[in-house]
Amino acid sequence: MVLLESFLGALTPLNLLLALVGVVLGTVIGALPGLSATMAVAVLVPFTFTMDPASGLIALGAIYTGAIYGGAYAAILVNTPGTPSSIATTFDGYPMAKRGDGGLAVTLATLSSVVGGLVGGLFLLFLSPPLARVALAFGPPEYFWLAIFGLTLISALSVGNTVKGLIGACLGLLMSMVGVAVVGGDIRYTLDTQVLLGGIDITSALIGLYCVPVVIDLVATRAQHLTVEDDLKGIRLGEALSISWARKFNVIRSSVIGTVIGILPGAGGSIAGLVSYSEARRASRHPERFGKGEPDGVIATEAANNATVGGGFIPTLVLGIPGTPPDAIILGALLVQGIKIGPTLFSAQGNIVYTFIFGLLIATVLMLPAGLLIGKYAYRSIISIPKPVLVPTVAFLTIIGSFAIHSNIHDTQMMFVLGILAWILNRFGFAPSPIVLGLVLGQIAEQGFVQSYLIGNAQKAVLGMFFGRPISLAIIVAAAFTLLYPLVSTYLAKRRSRAAVPLDAVEDAAPEAGRYRDPASLVMAALFIVLGVFAYLETAGMTAMGSVFPTTISAALIVLSLVLVAMHLRRPGRPSPVAGAALAPAREAVGWRRIAAALAMAVWILAIPVTGFATAGLLGFILMIAAASWDRPQAQTLLGYAIATLVLVAGFYLLMAKVLLLRMPPGALF
Amino acid sequence: MSLKLTAITVAFLAGVVPAATAQAADGYPTKSVEYIIPFNAGGESDVSARFQQATWEKMFGQQLVIQYMAGAGGAQAWSQLNSLPDDGYTIMGINLPHTVLQPMEKDVGYKTEDLTPVNYFHYTPDAIFVGKDSQFQTLKDLVDYAKQNPGLVTFSGSGSNSSNNLAQARLDDLAGITTTYIPFSGTSPAITAVLGGQTIAGFNYVTSGVSQGDALKMLAVAADERLPAFPDVPTFKELGYDLVGGAYRGVAVPKSASEEVRKAVSDAVSKVNADPDFKKKMEDAGFVLTDLPYEKMGTFMAEKQKEYEAGAAKLGIAAK
Repeated sequence: MVLLESFLGALTPLNLLLALVGVVLGTVIGALPGLSATMAVAVLVPFTFTMDPASGLIALGAIYTGAIYGGAYAAILVNTPGTPSSIATTFDGYPMAKRGDGGLAVTLATLSSVVGGLVGGLFLLFLSPPLARVALAFGPPEYFWLAIFGLTLISALSVGNTVKGLIGACLGLLMSMVGVAVVGGDIRYTLDTQVLLGGIDITSALIGLYCVPVVIDLVATRAQHLTVEDDLKGIRLGEALSISWARKFNVIRSSVIGTVIGILPGAGGSIAGLVSYSEARRASRHPERFGKGEPDGVIATEAANNATVGGGFIPTLVLGIPGTPPDAIILGALLVQGIKIGPTLFSAQGNIVYTFIFGLLIATVLMLPAGLLIGKYAYRSIISIPKPVLVPTVAFLTIIGSFAIHSNIHDTQMMFVLGILAWILNRFGFAPSPIVLGLVLGQIAEQGFVQSYLIGNAQKAVLGMFFGRPISLAIIVAAAFTLLYPLVSTYLAKRRSRAAVPLDAVEDAAPEAGRYRDPASLVMAALFIVLGVFAYLETAGMTAMGSVFPTTISAALIVLSLVLVAMHLRRPGRPSPVAGAALAPAREAVGWRRIAAALAMAVWILAIPVTGFATAGLLGFILMIAAASWDRPQAQTLLGYAIATLVLVAGFYLLMAKVLLLRMPPGALF
Repeated sequence: MSLKLTAITVAFLAGVVPAATAQAADGYPTKSVEYIIPFNAGGESDVSARFQQATWEKMFGQQLVIQYMAGAGGAQAWSQLNSLPDDGYTIMGINLPHTVLQPMEKDVGYKTEDLTPVNYFHYTPDAIFVGKDSQFQTLKDLVDYAKQNPGLVTFSGSGSNSSNNLAQARLDDLAGITTTYIPFSGTSPAITAVLGGQTIAGFNYVTSGVSQGDALKMLAVAADERLPAFPDVPTFKELGYDLVGGAYRGVAVPKSASEEVRKAVSDAVSKVNADPDFKKKMEDAGFVLTDLPYEKMGTFMAEKQKEYEAGAAKLGIAAK
């Protein structure tokens, strides 16, 4: 009876309108890299004070679920996860877009997000109290093993290039340790600067690692950013529906994984996406297609990350423990409204809770038409914006996104530096994804490990702590499967056909040039050995708690780099007649345009604190348009560019300063 | 941090305070105020600021715009405090023991005496929690058990070198026991660990226990008096341990702000604190309101500084 009443309560015109506006707003904000669900929810909170609690909650929930979904656009269309939840969407979404299936990928993401959101919401509606116990069953060892499970995905992501993948992971893990350690309170790898004290922000690193290389490479060719089919098939809803139907098990499995991981406070959408991606890959009959534009990859990630919304509300509402950062804000908003969250909520204030849950479900359903419409428009604009405007626009988004996280220009600078590094590393076969996995999972792994060790040590049962718990054991088995499966399947495939299958998954930029010695790789390995030794020596001044992880990781980095050196020394030198061509032929020349684009972006970022955000934006647009123009533009075209520049810079400036109420950097002008 | 410096700070504050008048407070605030929170949204600092926001806007008819500047446990924001406009329309949240312990440990871009708190308006006392089915029903049970089994009792808490950590070290000292502190990345995971039985007990903030209802039992609270929200939970003092503390939260302005501005901001915060509705909501959520306006800041800071320095020595934080 309460259910029916609440369902009708959620259907008032006001609530429906709030749900729709929330979803649309959330989708747009989530689509912009760096502008996250957390930010969107935080901005909206004061407005909900004046609303009736259920309506306020519906608005917050709608904006939240919309933002998680919106992250897929940036992931698919510009290879940048709009939120950390959509990291794994880039693996297959961007390759799909590149070959002309961008519209299809967006539609698939929409369908699976809606289903994922509904599954999570239904679990929230019917099974909250029992499922909340899952959150409690996960202790430090389980989080540790879950993070390790996530890391094993590297083995699948870098088949044929495993050593470089593992080195990348070590780099990411070391990066995750920069700053003040939660466990132990050590201050690590800050090089005695204050800039690094806050650590490397994951979102700004994501933007840099994935998006800056895209910007740099965009200018290098005359061709359009994405391939476009002649007939411009648009969103291809029918095709997407039949693909999704054929993969319904993947959709459901990923939604359930997403819900369960969403329940775990501290795990969140990024891990949910990665784990279900890895499961989808294992269950697939064509694991070798993953990373090259396999629809299953997009479906798995997007279903899972939207399922975390409903999942995350389970511990939030039942236990008063926020499952995700946006949940924490919503929890705070509820407290201010005078609603007591916790075990009594469902019985004492059931009507509010159920109205909210129905509102969330309705919002999720509304995401379908809204998402398809926005998706159609986003795809159209990405493929029809002329390149000289697209390049600075994407660059502007990276700057906005990295700045907006903490209103801190240091994050933007860090984003850019990491982006340049990622671009260089990628040329030498070190893909960004393993680095990102290391960075995202490093803290969870380290905290879980040290906490488990401390608790185990206090109980005099360290081994039992790590290996004696049933959930841990299950995760360990799953991790071992993921780790060994690619090796086994490669072996089987080789036995089946003598033809060697080129298997490197995501490394389309510079596949390791086969069997020959690569001097550049040797140089990189040597640099990593130096870095490893430095990182190792730095651990001397740390406490026992704070040093165990960095010590292990830096030692692993040194060993892996030595392995890489040994591998290359054992290979024959390239039998190339021309000395200059000895550098892998797959590596195209850098070209002045790439350097110009990088320099333009550097000038842009350096100008922000001097002249102000908007002025620097105008300057940056002019420089980048120049770097990206292949033909001398007509006067009319130039006028168009100028108008676009003004509109974009002013629009985003106002969005940040006036709508999202971010603190803008003080500059001489504006 | 030398005692001499502290003494100078105190003398300075004591000297100028009487000069301040209440006149500037009459008009303040006449426009919207930007309120920077040095932490992420959703934490206690944010929640208490949200409570203030609701009352502030009702009381003064002006907006209180909350902005976040998280990073380095707050240091990112505090190191920029003095470069903000000093007209009182940009204010920043400030926390103890953070702003005393952080600069003690390493150069974090600011010094404790560089910051100008004008009003510490509440604190969240530390408290010991156990699961509802725990074998420990009183603090005495727990202390006795810890005496017999040194190191075996595990306390979850929020972060290393935090107020939770200080309280655990202090209790070890006062009760003559050895316990193991397990740092977590925030109050939520720390409380989850207690709920899930991952640790034997938790040294957490009272606020985190409010939403748990019967699932958790609070053994003792580090406040001067029993809390209105938990009339049955004894204080450590009642049980014979001189342990009062927690995380204090206040409002700060840039150093260059005039005496009038400091006073005006402090008065506005005090006025919000005096609102009965605000008071009730905060207390229901487990916050303990304090009456520490600008006039009392000097003595309060000196007292806390001394206390934290002693605590820091116990935690092994290098005092400069």
